[in-house]
Amino acid sequence: MNDLHGILFAYHSDLNLGELTRPRNTCSLPYGGRYRLIDFMLSNYVNAGIRDVGLVVHQSYQSLLDHVGSGKDWELSRKHGGLRILPPFSFADEKSRGEYGGIMEALAGVYSYLQDIRQDYVIMGCGDIAINLPVADVFQQHLDTGADVTVVCTRKMHGSPRSTTYVALGEDGRVSDMSINPPAADSPLESLEFYIVSKKLLLDMVAYASAHDLRTFAKDTLLPRLGTLKVVPYIHEGYVARFQSVSGYYEQSIDLLDPAVRADLFNPARPIRTKDQSNPSTYYGSEAKSVNSLVADGCLIEGTVENSVLFRGVTVEAGAKVSNCVLMQGTVVRAGASLSYVVADKDVQINQGRMLVGHATYPLAIAKGSIV
Amino acid sequence: MKKEVVAMLLAGGQGSRLYALTSQVAKPAVPFGGKYRIIDFPLSNCVNSGIDTVGVLTQYRPLELNGYIGSGAPWDLDVSDGGVHILPPYMREGEQGTWYKGTANAIYQNMGFLDMYDPEYVVILSGDHIYKMDYADMVAAHKKSGAACTIAVLEVTMEEAKRFGIMNAYEDGRVYEFEEKPKQPKSNLASMGIYVFTWSKLREYLIADEADPNSANDFGKNIIPNLLNAGELLMTYRFQGYWKDVGTIDSLWDANMDLLSPHSAIDPYDPSWPIYARTPIRPPHVTGPNAKITHSLVTGGSEVNGTVENSVLFHSVVVEEGADVQYSILMPGAVVKAGAKVYYSIVAENAVVEANATVGSTPTGDPDWGIAVVASGVTVGENAVVSPKAMVRENVKGGERA
Repeated sequence: MNDLHGILFAYHSDLNLGELTRPRNTCSLPYGGRYRLIDFMLSNYVNAGIRDVGLVVHQSYQSLLDHVGSGKDWELSRKHGGLRILPPFSFADEKSRGEYGGIMEALAGVYSYLQDIRQDYVIMGCGDIAINLPVADVFQQHLDTGADVTVVCTRKMHGSPRSTTYVALGEDGRVSDMSINPPAADSPLESLEFYIVSKKLLLDMVAYASAHDLRTFAKDTLLPRLGTLKVVPYIHEGYVARFQSVSGYYEQSIDLLDPAVRADLFNPARPIRTKDQSNPSTYYGSEAKSVNSLVADGCLIEGTVENSVLFRGVTVEAGAKVSNCVLMQGTVVRAGASLSYVVADKDVQINQGRMLVGHATYPLAIAKGSIV
Repeated sequence: MKKEVVAMLLAGGQGSRLYALTSQVAKPAVPFGGKYRIIDFPLSNCVNSGIDTVGVLTQYRPLELNGYIGSGAPWDLDVSDGGVHILPPYMREGEQGTWYKGTANAIYQNMGFLDMYDPEYVVILSGDHIYKMDYADMVAAHKKSGAACTIAVLEVTMEEAKRFGIMNAYEDGRVYEFEEKPKQPKSNLASMGIYVFTWSKLREYLIADEADPNSANDFGKNIIPNLLNAGELLMTYRFQGYWKDVGTIDSLWDANMDLLSPHSAIDPYDPSWPIYARTPIRPPHVTGPNAKITHSLVTGGSEVNGTVENSVLFHSVVVEEGADVQYSILMPGAVVKAGAKVYYSIVAENAVVEANATVGSTPTGDPDWGIAVVASGVTVGENAVVSPKAMVRENVKGGERA
């Protein structure tokens, strides 16, 4: 599939994720024991045969760049094309200080890059959802239906309405209306805000938006033109996780303990790739207990772990108990400590005998590098 | 292009004493320790020692090994000046060229490769040992002594000494005699098969050795004795630490078990001396509601819902509910189904042990007892039994005994 170009937006930091995103961009949020969110869509693109990917960034993208590097781990380090990182051309523009106001503004900022795209079609969206999307099927549907714009949608997600775009369909199956961030959910169909559009139409749209100071795609560009453009949904039936709060992050991490969710998200036919790090296997000591958990490589477990997700290199010392937790890379739980409903960011240390208890609806988030 | 040190890694051996485990792959490509293959140890040692030019001499079943090494990227050996080079035997003008006749001949045939880098010193390594060693330190000792050859040695017991090549040396490390598997050892310094040569010297002796039609073209049998007889300076370099030859089923099993006491034998978690490997990206491993895992290594992509004790599980292994795995090694993709028992065994890549089958047993005291091996891709049928020490290369039908 060399006729599709991939664009991922990674300029977003979600303030609602509080402690978990303070040091980073939502696309580099760790998820699933060893991944960053960006891994999912980047892998989906590559698994569909996409060879050229543009990654549009704006601020706090250090950890993201550190993670994707040259794109080698996704086989995107190529002589021609491959991964292009696209920071803003200039910060001089007053109105775009901070982050982009929407993807049209972001695309206007990289207009010359868009002009140079070698493919006739573009798929674009934010790289901060966990999904195993068959992008090749989405593209095939786009070509088969002759749509101007294909919108990837789901019925499975129940995000906060205030940050969700809902899609209504007409009798012909086309998108007839969209409601953007309404006070309450008004359609079972949520937009994942991934779109396929031809390069030609996209360039026209970006030029028009730029000339009229229109910043968003859904609200400013698509909505006013639903009557004239053929906008068709692609309904993804598989698992989707999008992260809008700490409790949501916790819930969606625990979702991975369900074999059906894992089978879908980690479908071996479309593997999710990530940065390769040389970790040894995980070691379980003679008193260890690990049940109903997802445990990455390089952990040392001497204590008890249940109903939890452990990232790489986590240490759980003897007599420590971890239940219903998400512990990111390098967390150390010292002897006798007890954690329940805790989300610990990277390199957190929980000292001997400490007891931390959150609740399923309000997990306790501990910021990167904290010592408790 | 000139390099001070080039390493040559002898990886062409079949490893016939690993039987079914090396029927498809060369010994250095045999999986080890949950995440690695045997060759990762010498390769990582090279990189950690600052050696960035490594020739890997292959001959027996090289396909998997070649693919594994690839560009050398996992070991940071994908550099344009140097890096890792696969060196198979090749034909030359006038129908010349042969298989590698011996370890020394393998280096002789690649003199052109070495001359390209024109090194001062050549480190000769073999691909069947598990150890961590700073070769830079050994090269420094070699330089200081001005020897023609420095040989890494390890103290073994006098009983073990009968199975090794033994270096008889003066107190200052000068070797005066070399004995291969002596019945009455005079010393307990065993050669580890790791040599540092001054390249100009080695080159001379390789050419002379090749001209001798009676030579076995082997380092231990020919080159080392020839150097000694000619009065060249040979020095021992004493190594202290973990070193294991994994050339037999028993020693391979032992060395894997040694990894279960981390921070004591060979610590793969030590950030100052990482062991690199090429590993497929798999999701984290999963422990099910009935999992019972103790004193074991478990790797990404695996799903465990049975009992696993004192065992090493590679990536993508499945242990179903009610299965019992004890003192065993399950290589990548091995499956142990519900109710099956795997004791003191090595189950190779993608082999399947069907429900309620039994593989191996706990030690019985019977002299015929040993580690059972199920070769890669083999299926052991439902309720079938694989005896201890059995070497299963073909499918075992349900209910049968092998």
